[in-house]
Amino acid sequence: MAIRVDRICFSHPSGFSLEDVSLHVPAGRLSVLLGKNGSGKSTLLRLLAGLHRPVSGRIEVLGQNLSELSTAARAKVIGYLPQFHYPVFPYTVEEVILTGRAPYVFTVPRIGDREKAEEALVKVGIQDLRKRPYTELSGGERQLVMMARVLAQEPKVILLDEPVSHLDLSNQSRLLHLLKRLVQEGITVLAVLHDPNVAFTCGDSFFFMKQGRIQRPGPTEAPWDAAFLEELFDTRIETVPHNGRALVIPR
Amino acid sequence: MEAVILQVRMPRVVLAFLVGAALTVSGSALQAFFRNPLVSPYILGLSSGAAFGAALALTVPFLPILPSAFLFGLLAVGASYFLATTRQGVSTLSLILAGIIVTGIFTALLTIVQYLTDPFKLQSIVHWTMGNLHNANWSKVRSSALPILLGIFWLYLLRWRMNVISLGDEETRAVGLNPQRERLLVLLPATLVASSAVAVAGVIGMVGLAVPHMVRMLVGPDNQKVQPVSFSLGGCFLVLVDDVSRTIASFEIPIGVFTILIGGPFFVYLLKRGRMSYGGT
Repeated sequence: MAIRVDRICFSHPSGFSLEDVSLHVPAGRLSVLLGKNGSGKSTLLRLLAGLHRPVSGRIEVLGQNLSELSTAARAKVIGYLPQFHYPVFPYTVEEVILTGRAPYVFTVPRIGDREKAEEALVKVGIQDLRKRPYTELSGGERQLVMMARVLAQEPKVILLDEPVSHLDLSNQSRLLHLLKRLVQEGITVLAVLHDPNVAFTCGDSFFFMKQGRIQRPGPTEAPWDAAFLEELFDTRIETVPHNGRALVIPR
Repeated sequence: MEAVILQVRMPRVVLAFLVGAALTVSGSALQAFFRNPLVSPYILGLSSGAAFGAALALTVPFLPILPSAFLFGLLAVGASYFLATTRQGVSTLSLILAGIIVTGIFTALLTIVQYLTDPFKLQSIVHWTMGNLHNANWSKVRSSALPILLGIFWLYLLRWRMNVISLGDEETRAVGLNPQRERLLVLLPATLVASSAVAVAGVIGMVGLAVPHMVRMLVGPDNQKVQPVSFSLGGCFLVLVDDVSRTIASFEIPIGVFTILIGGPFFVYLLKRGRMSYGGT
C-alpha cells in the first residue's frame, strides 16, 4: 500500500470540507480519482501532497506519517503537479524543469542535477522545447513541462491534478503512455481526472468522491455501471461495453 | 591634484558603484520575491522608509543611522506587502498603490522631521533626501561597504532559489521549499542592501527598476546570471549616470532627481507595453 488515508477531516476557509475520508492507494499502480467539480478531489490531493494539513485523521505515504516528514524529505518522496500555473518570468523550459531538483540542492544545482533534469525532459519527450521561453508555450505544453519538473524531483509517488485537461489528443496519449511507463518502473501514480473514459481506459484502480466524501460502488456493481455513475455525476448516463469495461456517454 | 583624485573623485566613484550595485541587486531580488518585474526599492516605499529612518537618526542623538534606515525600510516594504496581499495573491496594481501609500506616509513623516529640525541640519537632510553623491568620502564608503557587500553576497548564495520561488508559492511548496521562509530569506538582505544605499546616498529612484530590466534583456531571466550581472552593471550604470548628472549642466543636478527624470518615462513604458513580456498579472 503506497498511500494509506485514515479517517481524515478537513475544512477549507471557503466553507468547503472533507468528512471522514479513508482510502488505500495501491503501490505501483495507476489510480484515478473521479468526481464532479467541487467534490473535493483537488483538496484531497493537496492534503496528500502535504500542502494542507488535515484537522484530524492520519495520512501515511510509503509507511511514513506525512505530518512527521520535513518539507524537503516529503518532496523527495511525493511529486505533485498542480492544476494551473501562471508563469511571470520567461525562464527557458530547461530552467523550469531544473527547479524540480530543489529538494536536493543546497545553493545552486550541480552537473548531476542538470543531468537529472535533462533525463526528465527526454522522458516526457519535449526535447524540442528545451530552449523555449516557458511563458510563450501553450497550456498543454506547459503541462508537459511541469510533468517533467515533477519527474526531475525523482518521487516515488506522483500526484496529478487534471494532468490531461489542457492537452490535445496526441499529447494526451503521450502523457498517458508516460504514466503507464512510470507505473511499470514501480512508481505509484494517483491522478484526478475529469473524463471517466480516459480513467476507465488507462486506470488500474478507481476512487470516487461526492460532496467531500468517498463513494464506493455497491458489492455487485462495477465502477463503470451506469447506475453508479449517474448517482456520482448527477446526470443521465449511457454506457457502452468496451474491453471488459465500459465507455461512458452522457445522455 | 593627487588629493582631488584620491579624496574627492575616488570615494565618489566607489560609492556610486556600491550604491548602484546595491539598488540593482536589491531590485532584481525584490522582483523575484514579488513575482513581479515592476517593483523596486523605490516603488515599494522601501527607499522612503529608509530615508525617514536615516533622517530620524540624523536628528535624534545616539540613534545609529544604518540600523535605523534598515528597520524603517523593512517596516515600509513589509507594510506594502501586507497592504497589497489579498486572498487571490498580490497583483501588480495593488502593489504599486500600496507602495504609493507607504511612500506618502514616510514622506510626510520625513517632512515632520525636517520641520522640527534646526536650519543647519535641515539643509543637509534636504540635500541628502534628493539623492546625492556630491559629498561622498571614504568614511561613507567604509560605513556602507560592509552591509552592502554582505547582503549582496547573501543574495548571491540564494540566486538559484529565486528562480524557484518566482514560479509561485504552490510550485515552491511542491518541490519541498517553504515559500514564506524562502521569501523572508530574500527580503532581509534585499532590504539591508537597499536601505544601506539610501542611508549614505539618499533616495535614488528607478535604478533598482530599470537596470534589472536591462540585465534580463542581456542575459535572460535566470537569476543565477541576473544577480552577478546586476551587481556589475548596476554599479557601472550609476557611476556613469553620476558623471552625466555632474557635468551635463552648469550646476550639479542631484543624482536622485536625475534618475527619476530618466527612469519615470521608462516605468510608464513598461506599464503601458500591454502584454508585458516579463509578465505581471
